Amino acid sequence: MKTKYILMVAWVALALTQVSCEKVSPQGVLMAGTAVEDRVKMSNQYYKDYLDEFNINMVLDDYTFLVGSDSHLTTDPGRMDEMFAIGLEGGDLLYTHLGDIADTKVEYYITLDSLVKQAKHKFVEKLYGINSKGYYYPIGDEEDAEDYEWTYDQIDFPFYPVVGNHDITHNGWALWSNIFHSSFYEFPVLVLTEEGELVIDRFIFLDTASGTLGRTQVDLIEDGVLDGSEGYTYRHTFVFGHTNIFRPSSLEFASTFSREETFFLLNQFEQWHASIVFCGHVHKWDERVYNNVTFLTLDSMSERNSPNPGDYLVRVHVKKDGTLQWERVHMNYVAKK
Amino acid sequence: MTKKFFLFLFIASSLVSIGYGQNSYIPYKTYDGEHKNEISGYVTVGNNVITDVFGGLSMSYQHHLTPRWHVGGDVQAQFVKQLFSVDIQGGYRLPVKYGNVYFDGKLLYNRYQKWGFNEYIANLSATWESAYVDLCIGESLIHYRTNRNSTSRSYGVTEPLTLTFGFGVNARHRSNPWNVGLFFRNYDDFYYENWNINWGIRWYARVRERWNLFGEFNIRPAGSMSQLATKYEGSVKLGLKYKM
Repeated sequence: MKTKYILMVAWVALALTQVSCEKVSPQGVLMAGTAVEDRVKMSNQYYKDYLDEFNINMVLDDYTFLVGSDSHLTTDPGRMDEMFAIGLEGGDLLYTHLGDIADTKVEYYITLDSLVKQAKHKFVEKLYGINSKGYYYPIGDEEDAEDYEWTYDQIDFPFYPVVGNHDITHNGWALWSNIFHSSFYEFPVLVLTEEGELVIDRFIFLDTASGTLGRTQVDLIEDGVLDGSEGYTYRHTFVFGHTNIFRPSSLEFASTFSREETFFLLNQFEQWHASIVFCGHVHKWDERVYNNVTFLTLDSMSERNSPNPGDYLVRVHVKKDGTLQWERVHMNYVAKK
Repeated sequence: MTKKFFLFLFIASSLVSIGYGQNSYIPYKTYDGEHKNEISGYVTVGNNVITDVFGGLSMSYQHHLTPRWHVGGDVQAQFVKQLFSVDIQGGYRLPVKYGNVYFDGKLLYNRYQKWGFNEYIANLSATWESAYVDLCIGESLIHYRTNRNSTSRSYGVTEPLTLTFGFGVNARHRSNPWNVGLFFRNYDDFYYENWNINWGIRWYARVRERWNLFGEFNIRPAGSMSQLATKYEGSVKLGLKYKM
């Protein structure tokens, strides 16, 4: 009988440590893979060292931004390509992605990297001109075009993703961070109101890929890393993370935060006076207002998880007077057969 | 993969139990025919991602109304988490060929004072307990709401369907005066998770006729079951049970 127990334990251990497929890493059921602590330390250091990459220029008018989630890109980049096209056509100030951007295979990340570079090329082509010295200037500022000395590399493509759980399986953090660098950061969008008052809308990006913030991230949040307003008043706070806070329905059993961390986060969002919190992960749409915070959980925009055209993106309209509106944005791409 | 895993656990645990009769079986919660009341308490010390080091005290009381029916209650106070809990519970024991099946109900209130939330839980479960293996399956209805904000938008959130599952295995036959085993479940004495598991080592030892020492080493990862599990909480419980 003891032999049976030993065999059973051995089989379970083997199943948990050896069996794997392209999408999931079963050993992760019990044991840590890429640690959130290390990701946050790396991300925070990168954020501090390359702060300019996270700067958004002052906005003098209404603006919009686009949100997508769970693209799970493999060999077909159609939906990601469509998201960038929708953003560019809609004139969005920035695009965000809520994680699980690609399944973790080197080939998929090569495709993703090419796609992001192509999207930046189209973005620069549409929004920037080249002056007589060969430098880039923003279209609309032709009067001062010759004063600009921006190179292509100095133009930041305003695509801001957070990391998801599928981004870190099979040591995927190495692939993800090679392209996007940081999973924990914030940036302000400065808005000059009609009354001439300077206000700040802040965008906070959290690393929730492991279903927990981890101690380092909690410490940084509690130390006020994301509270540095330098005396300005925050008008809106938008928070982006992968793991969903609320279950879209009782039948959704995707792993979420533990009980205490759920309450910690709900309390933190309230303290931040968050306007909208965006989540993904569970591949189901959910919208609700809780404690005066709007929570939007986005459906997967992946052509495999959501093969039919549908409203997978969200566009937020931020008016100069501070009013907010959001709408779901339709995607038409259908995978080639 | 998850479905296959649970199917395997179910089949394996069923197979290894065959061959053990009831005659030498001393179930965990069964009335011993002499001591109708049981009182126990334990100390918890641990480390948690959100609160760092924490600790707490818990007390339990169980009364055997008959050899089949039992009722009881538990309280806990965790000081760094500022978590205060109280529950009442009751159940029925149904003897079966390879052990007992317990049908239990529990009403639990948690006050997460640090973050300003009240949580109310109703749980129903069935636990099959054999000489070496125990399996639990149940359902929890969870409702939580903030206790700090009374605006119209601070309504509660209800999760009416939350699966409860647990699996435990003992190294020795349950009739032995001491034992050590492993457990794997998505709940603990004072919480029920949606899907996250906790797992670890449990043990007990009879120190005197009426006194039992018991303990647990509990690993509570975040992001388990569908993500890469990461450290969330580790804790140690050490307790004493007295039969009256």
